[in-house]
Amino acid sequence: MPPRTGDRDRCVTGIDGLDTILYGGIPRDNTVLLTGSCGTGKTSLALEYLIHGAVSGENSLFISVTENSEKLLMNIIPYKFFDRELIKSGRLVFVDMPAMYERLGMTKAELSMEEIDLLVAAIGSLVKELGIRRMVMDSITSVCYKLKTPEKIRDFILKLSKTLSDLNCTSILVSEVAAQSSAYSTFGVEEAISDGIVLMANMERRGDLLRTLQVIKMRGTMHSRAKYVLDLTPVGVLLVPLLKGGSAGT
Amino acid sequence: MTDSRIAGNVARQLNELPPGSAVSLQMSVDNYLDVMSGVIDLYAGKRDMDTIYVTATISFEAIKRVMQALEIDTSRVYFVDCISHIMMGTAAAQKDEHASLVESPTMLENVMLKVEYLLRRSQSKEKLVVIDSINSLAIHNNSWILSEFLHILVSGLRVKEARTIILSVEEHSTPEIANMVNLVCDSGIRAAKEE
Ligand SMILES: Nc1ncnc2c1ncn2[C@@H]1O[C@H](COP(=O)(O)OP(=O)(O)OP(=O)(O)O)[C@@H](O)[C@H]1O
Ligand SMILES: [Mg+2]
Repeated sequence: MPPRTGDRDRCVTGIDGLDTILYGGIPRDNTVLLTGSCGTGKTSLALEYLIHGAVSGENSLFISVTENSEKLLMNIIPYKFFDRELIKSGRLVFVDMPAMYERLGMTKAELSMEEIDLLVAAIGSLVKELGIRRMVMDSITSVCYKLKTPEKIRDFILKLSKTLSDLNCTSILVSEVAAQSSAYSTFGVEEAISDGIVLMANMERRGDLLRTLQVIKMRGTMHSRAKYVLDLTPVGVLLVPLLKGGSAGT
Repeated sequence: MTDSRIAGNVARQLNELPPGSAVSLQMSVDNYLDVMSGVIDLYAGKRDMDTIYVTATISFEAIKRVMQALEIDTSRVYFVDCISHIMMGTAAAQKDEHASLVESPTMLENVMLKVEYLLRRSQSKEKLVVIDSINSLAIHNNSWILSEFLHILVSGLRVKEARTIILSVEEHSTPEIANMVNLVCDSGIRAAKEE
């Protein structure tokens, strides 16, 4: 383990390569935007973060906005470090956002300011009740589509981050961007107000397609800013530095 | 067939290496089989080591056939094959639990990732990684990137106390390649009858 920097306690993600990049893990209580175009491995990485947390005794919550959690479960069963007992014992909890909207009576296409407060409060009490230390929302972009305006998006993310942070929960908000986009988020607001940004992408190099990961920012710690190449395997996410090869790198 | 004196000589020298060491193993094209028998059978086989064999020269299936012809036990050899894909396209080799295919020998990061994956899955106490060969990799990669690859790979393996053997073929070598290998290796072995 590399030496820690700064005073902040770390949430060790359990993904070795990522913990190395972050000099030990995500600073506790941070809200991190995990962003990338489709199929870059965001959901896999976020799930692995939660499983490692659950295995190490931290209650972990996955709020699924886009996919049915039953389907997600099928993806993690092959992991060598996953054990169904984690779910049975309540260490690893899945909640479907559509069910939550319904329970809160949020049936309209656009949420009002009051409904945003209600939603944040509902997530907060869930986190409190279940003693959640790690949370993932996949994806925040889908929630943003129900908020529509930048003001509401800003309001929602700020309130959510504050609530989660106050409850000592270290969170990952998954964000989707178009493949060619140079922004880190669809609405441009999400990236500015999160404590950290981890970017996942596909990169072409002389005809080869590589999956990459890069930490763009992370409040409360030093971190590598280099690009890493990533592989999704049955033992989890593996990372190695992108070779620069003199001038050949991009 | 093989010259058992060369194979024995190679194995004897390898046996003296501590965990985490990286060694450059130079050979002539004619000694390829002797080296294979020395490294895989007499050395790794006798020590119950899992071997991760990175091939950029011939397909893993061909190497496996050669090993089997030499009556070498291949049950603890895991291949990272970077050549089958570009030689045979996507219809490449059939699925084999002991082989991971990398699409091209230019995807050196993926070679590192497969090696890392196989190391994590390996249950054996001692582990060996063989690169066959630096000359084949040099056909597909410039020396900047290849040198960077060797540095990152070997330093990662050192930390994990795995041993690395980098094969080079004398007939195909250049001073530049030799230099690159020497930079990351602690010692060198030359496959020959005499010391
Ligand atoms: N453990 C694994 N081993 C091999 N391949 C995997 C593994 N996990 C995921 N994949 C592959 O990687 C692809 C992308 O993974 P993932 O769903 O995590 O990406 P994503 O960024 O969340 O995608 P989306 O934008 O569609 O939500 C999947 O389609 C799957 O085929
Ligand atoms: Mg996803």
